[in-house]
Amino acid sequence: MTVIVVLMILAAAAAWEIYVRSIGYAPTLNDNEDLWTMARRRVTPESVVIIGDSRAWFDLDLDELQKGLGKRPVQLGMKGSCAYPVLADLANDETFHGTIICSITARLFMAPPGSPPMDHSAKAVRRTRTQTPAQRASQYLAMPLEEHVAFLKQEELDLAQLLKGLPIPNRPGALVPPRFPPYFATVDRERRARMIEQCADANGELARRIQQIWIPLFTPPPPPTYIPRAEFGKQMGQAIEQRFRDVASAVAKLRARGGKIVFVSFPHSGGLKELEDRETPRAGIWERVLKDTAASGIHYEDYPELATFTCPEWSHLSAGDSVEFSKRLVPHLRAALQL
Amino acid sequence: MLFNSLTFVVFFTVVVAAYWSMRSWTLRKNLLVVASYIFYGAWNPPFAALLFTTTAMDFWLGARIARAKGHHAKKVWLVASVAMNLSMLGFFKYGNFLLENFQWLMARVGVIYQPPHLDILLPVGISFYTFHSLSYTLDVHRGVMQPTKSLRDFVLAVSFFPQLVAGPIVRAGDFLPQLLAPPKPQTGRFLWGLALMTLGLFEKVVLADTMLAGSADTVFGYAGPLVALDSWMGVIAFAGQIFFDFAGYSTCAIGAALCLGFHLKDNFRFPYAAIGFSDFWRRWHISLSTFLRDYLYFPLGGNRVGWARASINLVIVMFLGGLWHGAAWTFVVWGLLHGFYLVIEHVLRAFLGNKTWTDSLAMKVLLGLLTYAAVCLAWVFFRASDFATATRMLQGMFGGHPRGDAILATREMLQIGGVTFFMMLAHWSLRDISIEQAVERLPRWLVTTVWAVMACAIILTQGSSNAFIYFQF
Repeated sequence: MTVIVVLMILAAAAAWEIYVRSIGYAPTLNDNEDLWTMARRRVTPESVVIIGDSRAWFDLDLDELQKGLGKRPVQLGMKGSCAYPVLADLANDETFHGTIICSITARLFMAPPGSPPMDHSAKAVRRTRTQTPAQRASQYLAMPLEEHVAFLKQEELDLAQLLKGLPIPNRPGALVPPRFPPYFATVDRERRARMIEQCADANGELARRIQQIWIPLFTPPPPPTYIPRAEFGKQMGQAIEQRFRDVASAVAKLRARGGKIVFVSFPHSGGLKELEDRETPRAGIWERVLKDTAASGIHYEDYPELATFTCPEWSHLSAGDSVEFSKRLVPHLRAALQL
Repeated sequence: MLFNSLTFVVFFTVVVAAYWSMRSWTLRKNLLVVASYIFYGAWNPPFAALLFTTTAMDFWLGARIARAKGHHAKKVWLVASVAMNLSMLGFFKYGNFLLENFQWLMARVGVIYQPPHLDILLPVGISFYTFHSLSYTLDVHRGVMQPTKSLRDFVLAVSFFPQLVAGPIVRAGDFLPQLLAPPKPQTGRFLWGLALMTLGLFEKVVLADTMLAGSADTVFGYAGPLVALDSWMGVIAFAGQIFFDFAGYSTCAIGAALCLGFHLKDNFRFPYAAIGFSDFWRRWHISLSTFLRDYLYFPLGGNRVGWARASINLVIVMFLGGLWHGAAWTFVVWGLLHGFYLVIEHVLRAFLGNKTWTDSLAMKVLLGLLTYAAVCLAWVFFRASDFATATRMLQGMFGGHPRGDAILATREMLQIGGVTFFMMLAHWSLRDISIEQAVERLPRWLVTTVWAVMACAIILTQGSSNAFIYFQF
């Protein structure tokens, strides 16, 4: 009986693997807290570190940055995350006096405490302190498997995600969070994310599907029903002001040890750019962060050579464009960091 | 190390292969001790030293109890063991809780006291292994077992990795006799162990974590008022989650032990088919309820001391049972609610006597559903992080927020409904038999298929699962 069970499991796994490959999936690492922790452990006192949301994660090519800056950066950017917990972690790390390249996507950068973008980063930072030897061992065991088996894709093909994908309509008025975009990137052991080919075509089915997912994700949610509107507005205002103060304080702490930081606004396109320009205009958060921290900033729109890129799915550059973008960004980074 | 992790798969494979390839029983036991300490140390290596210290102290105290002349002297050594174990548990688990409550009490009498916040890391499974170890000195004192002469055997009895961190609470008296002679390799027993591990993991990673945990977390984590449907769904989801999580761990533990030739007693027996609360506690976390019964309820006088005193004893036991689960008053309320339920049931039993109408199937099902509903109500306090959340949940459940928010997706409600329906069906169908008997009645092809489907579903979850809830206790 056991032999039959084993054969049935192997047959089902093989069939599932063949099927997911046939619909476009390829083996890649899962970008989880343990992989992030591995990267965080590579940070040395003088490292160049990339932090922030998925635009820094997709759009920066480590080879090009290494060529241009003389050091191979450590990629600590995370999709759907707020940069602040990682910035604070590095600022509080007394041994660190390196360089930080920090992405600013306003809605994520200012995400209030307790929101998913903050929790996502805070959880990863916490993992560096709480990771058990068993979790570390599991990560090392999982990586070779994930590099060879396409269906091992936790954020897309695990049972929970498959169930979430069922087309079952919700009750009218139900406050159900919007879905996240499907698989469209590969990740390697250095956490370099690359957009897959199928998504690089702006008119392709996948890119168009993802474009429509960004809109609800980047649209401000309605205020909670259980807090008076004015009170909620006041609380949000206070949280935003607190974030400005916290970021300025973290940057000051870093600088006091000789560390450097440069903020970068990465390309975004189409309807998403229109939405972001309307909801979180540059004059609001971007300018204020630069003013409060007195740090350098590189906004892609300020430089024609950076502004010519188009994001196929509106938020990130294709793998090929990310290399060219990084090459063009290097002189600006060098100038901003006075290298 | 979690059962639902790749590290455990490799660890268990290596341990089982090495264990059965060794001929010497002494070597095998040494291997299990080393493996158990690696298993435990894989969380936080320094805490393995704490585990060993507790164990070695109880080994020594057990010998002192046995050697002591006279009841008084024996009692002194037993008190030393109880004090040592409970102070260890008290410091690590209840240190901050006690300080916070002391601060609150001082404030009530006008004294402003600001205690330091102790940055105490809770050793995983301390509540379980403390009870494993304590059962030894208690049983030696009660005279139900002789102390073992082998420190290694006792260390293994306390730290045996399948049951070390989340039970079942295996008494030394049940485990030590199994170390006297080596188990013979039996293919059937080994395969049944693997099947139980598959079932346990399926309960944990598929049913608890994938199908139910998200909805329970969403509902209990929501800061606003919820409509009745979502409130009830959240509570029902948690009721299922905690059963599958904990019963899943116990089933895995029993299966892993069987693969190594050891028998651990059942810890769950289809509890949501319980008719009444005495019945519930005979089916839920059996190793804890019997531990509290034998070492606390009976010494307090049990039900031989008259109705009123027995009721007080019940409430005391359930109060401490609640506190055992966590250092928070919400757990105490959960325990007290169960104590209250048990007292009410005793009163009703005394009042109704042996009325035959209570034996009809319809009445049994009705009473069973009432029991389930009351257990679910108590779960609100168990799961809620504070009383404000518990109050909000109860208000929602009883229609206090008709214009509250709806936050669960239809898919989530279908998952909760589906899993709960089949869980109740399984519990009621199997309430009077064991899993072994149920499986024996099924055709071979069906068992094979179900086993393979469960394994495939486990693989499909890809380890994106949570730690077991009971680890925090």
